[in-house]
Amino acid sequence: MVILIQINFEEYDVAVKIKEEKDIVVARQMVKDIARRLGFSLADITKISTAVSELARNIYRYAKEGFIYVKEKKEGQNVAIEIVAYDKGPGIENINQAIMGGFTTTKGSLGLGLSGVRRLMDEFFIDSEVGIGTVVIVSKRRRSF
Amino acid sequence: MKEKLINNLNEYVSMLDERFGNKKLWEDFLITVAENSDDVFLAKQEVLKNVVDFIGIDNFILAVDILSDSLAEFPKDKVLKAALKIMKDYCNERDMVVKELKEALGELAVPIIRVWKDIVLTPLIGTLDSERAQTMAEKLLEFVADVRAKYVILDVTGVSFIDTIVGGFLLEMVNAVRLLGCDVIMTGIKPDIAHTLVKLGVDFNAVTIKRDLETGLKFAISKIEKGVSV
Amino acid sequence: MKQKVVPTIKLYDYLIVPVQIELDDTTVEAIQRQILEEIEDKQIRGIIIDVSMIDIIDSYISYTLSETAAMARMMGCHTVLCGIQPHVALTLAQMGVNIKGIHFAMDLESSIEILNSIKD
Repeated sequence: MVILIQINFEEYDVAVKIKEEKDIVVARQMVKDIARRLGFSLADITKISTAVSELARNIYRYAKEGFIYVKEKKEGQNVAIEIVAYDKGPGIENINQAIMGGFTTTKGSLGLGLSGVRRLMDEFFIDSEVGIGTVVIVSKRRRSF
Repeated sequence: MKEKLINNLNEYVSMLDERFGNKKLWEDFLITVAENSDDVFLAKQEVLKNVVDFIGIDNFILAVDILSDSLAEFPKDKVLKAALKIMKDYCNERDMVVKELKEALGELAVPIIRVWKDIVLTPLIGTLDSERAQTMAEKLLEFVADVRAKYVILDVTGVSFIDTIVGGFLLEMVNAVRLLGCDVIMTGIKPDIAHTLVKLGVDFNAVTIKRDLETGLKFAISKIEKGVSV
Repeated sequence: MKQKVVPTIKLYDYLIVPVQIELDDTTVEAIQRQILEEIEDKQIRGIIIDVSMIDIIDSYISYTLSETAAMARMMGCHTVLCGIQPHVALTLAQMGVNIKGIHFAMDLESSIEILNSIKD
């Protein structure tokens, strides 16, 4: 049996359950606050929140239910924010196609969200199995200058 | 250790002086070591700094080795620890200077100038790395919004080469500017740049191309005098 | 007419739609419906959607805005999207989002100038 990459949920600082449509807004506002608290620039806060909005919407639309996990990551002197979008939904059949995206005009096309998320964040990882679920892990480093 | 050090002070000082020079420096140093052997140099950082400045950190380590060889119970660990703290301070100072220099360079490299009512000029000079390109895009957009510009003239006369990554950035920046209701005029495109931009699939309907800064500026001004056209 | 989701202002034969609330999917769709109804009811020739209070615009919202503009166009109406914040604009551009069929402006004044100058 195929298993998805395992996430240790206890490692994360905050979790938001995505079940109702309003939870998309809750998730992105929460992440916005965390990013601001961590000292990210306004431009980066906007990017991070927008990425979370995309991820949360995908969960709501396709899996109906899932979670957004957020944590602060420290790598030496650097601070980064890491976000996991996790669901036990239908999974993505063709991951490469979904990520490559470009922007189709089909309403709610998955590719729409994910390719944008990848461009906004520093690191992007996805694991998905049909019938089992999807995990997306993204992170962004706080810039110092 | 204290007594032995004080009693034989001159001997040790001569030894170090012979090796490295500057008698007074060593005298102060050894007296301080003798005095505060519990928290060496905590109160008298100056003394240690002077020594490290004078002979450099490598020689300092050497000097400490020599001393601990000839003097049992010389507080080698404490002295080295104190020296490390001083080096850290130097690093921090230098980091701040580097940071300020970087910022200044950033400002210089990408000037954003309001050259006419509603017209902003950004002459790109030299090469842009992706971090500076990002900063530049953010600054430009804020500025355009602040002054409510109608045109941005992006002059690339000073750029002889851009890679596809920076080219992509520029494109994104142009698209972002247009979302603010501001038109972009590109001027001074050299052959290599033209090559890269076409390969990247620049939408030429989205950007007005003019040969040089003068032509671009004339165009923008005439548009503004005529009133907004869609 | 159904209950209004957002208060709108009619100016000449233009409709100004200031969006000041957090945009979740249902709200965005409701605004779309409201706009189209008002265009018909009030013989609107141009709509100005003011998003200067919005700090996050994602791909779905962008898509819905394009869609709204296309629907309005079919009813003979042009659309101006007014007041996108600089950081939001950069995010949209860097995501690669393309909002079609809409004019962009920074403020209400320019928005009206644009609508005035469109000869249909």
